[in-house]
Parts: sequence; C-alpha cells; structure tokens
Amino acid sequence: MSADAASPPTTAAQQPARQLPPPTPESQPFWDACARHELHLQCCDACGRFWFPPSNRCQHCWSDRFSWQPVSGRGEIYSFTVFRRAYSPELADQLPYVVAVVELEEGPRMVTNIVGREPEAVRVGMSVEVTFTDIAEGAALHAFQPRNDPQAPASQAE
Amino acid sequence: MYQRTAAIVGVGQSDLGEIPGSTSIALMTDAAVAAVTDAGLAAPDIDGVIVRGPDDEYCFQQLLGERLGVNAAFSTSLDNGGASQALGVILASLAIEAGLATTVLCGYGRNAWSRTRRAGSRRARMNQATTRRVREFRDPFGYFGEPATHALGAQRHMAMYGTTKEQLGHIALAFREHAGRNPAAQMRAPLTMQDYLNGRPVADPFGVYDCSLRTDGAGAIVVTDIARARDLRHTPVVVRGFGSSNNLRGWIADDHMVHTAARASGERAYRIADVAPADIDTAQLYDCFTYMVLAQVEDYGFCDKGDGGGFVASGALALDGALPTNTAGGQLSEGHVEGMLQIVEAVRQLRHEHPAERQVPDARLALVSGHGGNTVCHSTLILERAA
Repeated sequence: MSADAASPPTTAAQQPARQLPPPTPESQPFWDACARHELHLQCCDACGRFWFPPSNRCQHCWSDRFSWQPVSGRGEIYSFTVFRRAYSPELADQLPYVVAVVELEEGPRMVTNIVGREPEAVRVGMSVEVTFTDIAEGAALHAFQPRNDPQAPASQAE
Repeated sequence: MYQRTAAIVGVGQSDLGEIPGSTSIALMTDAAVAAVTDAGLAAPDIDGVIVRGPDDEYCFQQLLGERLGVNAAFSTSLDNGGASQALGVILASLAIEAGLATTVLCGYGRNAWSRTRRAGSRRARMNQATTRRVREFRDPFGYFGEPATHALGAQRHMAMYGTTKEQLGHIALAFREHAGRNPAAQMRAPLTMQDYLNGRPVADPFGVYDCSLRTDGAGAIVVTDIARARDLRHTPVVVRGFGSSNNLRGWIADDHMVHTAARASGERAYRIADVAPADIDTAQLYDCFTYMVLAQVEDYGFCDKGDGGGFVASGALALDGALPTNTAGGQLSEGHVEGMLQIVEAVRQLRHEHPAERQVPDARLALVSGHGGNTVCHSTLILERAA
C-alpha cells in the first residue's frame, strides 16, 4: 500500500478487513470457540476457577491441569473508552466505537467492544452479555451488548 | 536499611523536540556529556552506567560506554518502561552504598519523534507502529496503545468520584504555563481551557492535550557518595529515600487503574526517607497523560483518593500553589523523555539555580515519580538539598 500522503482518503470499498493476529497454541481453543460464537475460558481442574488471557497454568493455584469450559457470557462494564478516529484503517467504518473492559460473572476481565448501544449511553457498571462479530471466514471477535433485563438469565447468545 | 549516602552531583539534557535525523544514542551521549561536565567530572571518574534507550536497541549501556570511553564496574539497561529512570537512581544509590561502584551515570535517550516521522506522513507513522508488539487480546478490538489504557482509568475514576474533563484540563494548563517559562520546552504557546476542551479527540475522555508529547531527547544525571559530592562544584542533592511497586497482575486487574502502584511505592519512599507528604516542597510527577497526575496526587497522599479533581483545579500545581508540580512543563509540555527530565528538574529546583520566575522558593525536598512498564511499574525518589 502506498505511503504517499497525497493518496485519496480510504473508502469503505478500499478499507482493509479486520483480522486476528495469528493465534498461539495457548490461545487457539479460545478463538476456535469464538468462531462458533461461544465464549470458552480455561477452567482449573484442581481449584475450579477460571482465568484469562490464556496461560499454561492456573493463575490462582498454579496447577497445569485445566480444561476449556463455556462461561455464562454475562458481566458488567468495568471501564470503557470511545474512539472517534481510526488509528488503523480497518476500523474506519466502525467509528465511533467503544473499547471496554468487561468483568465476567466468573471473575476474569477482558478487553472487548460494546455494541448495540450508542457510545454516549454506555456507562461503567452497565450489565452486559456476550455477542460475536464475524470479521472473516472462520474468525469472530467477542463483543458485549447491554442486557435489557439484567435480572433475567442471559439470552442464548447467538 | 538504606543509609542516605548517595547524592546527585550533575544533571544534563540534550536538545529537545523535533530533531530530524537524530538518533537515540547521539542524544543520550549529548546528555551524558552535559551531566558529567556539570558535575565537574570526566570519563575516568565514571564507574557505573545505568541507562535506558528504545526497546529495540540492545545493550544501550554498552553503546554509550563505547562513545564515552567508559568501562564500568556496574552497568545495565533497564526494562520497567517509564519507571526505569527513577529505578536507575535507586539502583545507583544501592550500588554506591554497597561499594559496587563509586560514581554512576544514569540516563535515558530516545529519538521518539524522528523514529515515527521518517517519511513525513501519517501513513508512514502507522506503518512504523507495526514494529510494536502485537497484543492478541487488545489490538483486534481497536484498542490502540497507551492512550486507551490510561483513558480506561480516567473513565472509571470519573464514574466513581465525579471527576470532570475540566479538572483534567487544569493539569494540562498548569504544566503549559510552566513550560512557557522554560526556553528549552517543546510546547510553550499559552493554552486556554477552551483550547484544551476543543483539542481533537484521542480516546474518551482524552483529547490531544491530555497526551504527552513525542520528543527527540535525552536526560542524564551523575550519582556519587555524599563525601565525594561535598568536594564537587554544586550543592549536593541527597537521595534521601526511594520506593517502588509493580502491579504485575496488570492495569485492568484488581483496582490498579484507580489505586495505582504509586500508592505503595510512595509509602515505602516516605518510610525510608522518614518524611510525610506535607514535607514535600515540589513534585515532579510522571505525566504520560493528565489522568496519571490526578491519580498520583491522591496515591501519594497530597489529597484523599477521589479528591484529586478538586485538588488540581484549586491551582495546587502552580509554581505558587500548594504543590508546585512539573515546574519545567512535564512530558505534556516540556518534552517526553520518559521521566528523566523530572529527575533533572527536581535537582535544579533543589539547587536553587533557576531564575526567580521558575524557582520554588527555598525548595528543600522534592518527590519524583516514574510510571510505566505496561502501566503497572512505579518508582519514587525523595530528594533533599544537602544541608
């Protein structure tokens, strides 16, 4: 791609596609589950607790025995920020977009996007549930959307 | 326990700003020569080198030793990001007290502006940025860099305590006012609250004036033992105490983005120095973003947690305020040299060498902070003008 400052502005048609960095052996099961629109995290066989991001041992008790398990997909917004400029061309058609840290009911926090609500209505502490954004064939990102009834069980995400 | 036997005897800096063609090691060399010369010393006097350069330049201390003609009893490069520079002074003080070295050169240099502007276009800058480490669980979500990280902290602080954008603005305005008095500063034009609020958005709640500068620059200091220091040309500045704290579980873990590592680092430093927040005459705080100053004035006990907004809006950070802070302009306006110039400025204030319009009257104790390393590493120095 030309680095010439005189190039015309990027249009939607020319906009490069969003993509995942190459998964690592540790993270492959996470992204495989996302592609199926399921949120799976590592769960410790010894102490039963979850952790994120992926690691070769339990963050809590250091056991190296774990399995990938589905989680509720429910949580709340711990904090967030709004981007109104595209610092990377593949995000140009997303503007403005919300980047948030969501704390899951199971404990782990994760960086994600908040969708389904205008940025001005997003609040710290808001109850959210997982959804997925397909970005390419076989690749999806987890995102979260506000829950209409925070007391009810999560709708079947996807 | 540390016996308070180390003292800073020389300070120096390179040119600062947008210096096309500059290299990190040349800037570092200029600052090192200035600091050693300021101390009235020469290459044979230096037997310790603790520095930091860009993350992609291996063994920066060796590159510097080669240029200066210095072999060292003790040397290393540091990897705690913006906390490294204060940490370097801690390590130098411990090495001197332990007898590992007698006179240590500490410094930081980086051609931060030049390395991102080689082709002179925005696109070139973005391509250059691809050399950064790809973060698998951040980048795909459009989470770009340190502004987003600190914005998350600011937004949570606002939600918890009602802190406002205007209160953050008072930090940017205070430091710009100080930079206006500093001929070496990168950004000296007056800044109004309206200018601040109209700054182009970066990552809510931050606009461009909440973010530190991109600077080609370097700073350096010389540390030796207090006995040697008394024979040199300047009033020694004693390293009275120090602390560090590193929330390695991460910025988004626990309550780290609001109660930062500055709190525990500061508590250790106050204990070792045997002083209290009220004793501090001037603070030189790591200001990568306005919010970090707000968090630190609380974490260092200059006000209660949650009261930082009111504290900074009261004018406390001004030269005649309750806590004159970043009196050379800080990284928001003087130049971003990863905390090194905070140390340099503290020494100049404690030596009483500024003209009256820049001098904190009778400054005796300064607190200096460093913050970085994926936003969780923190180091603190408490420096004192020798009696």
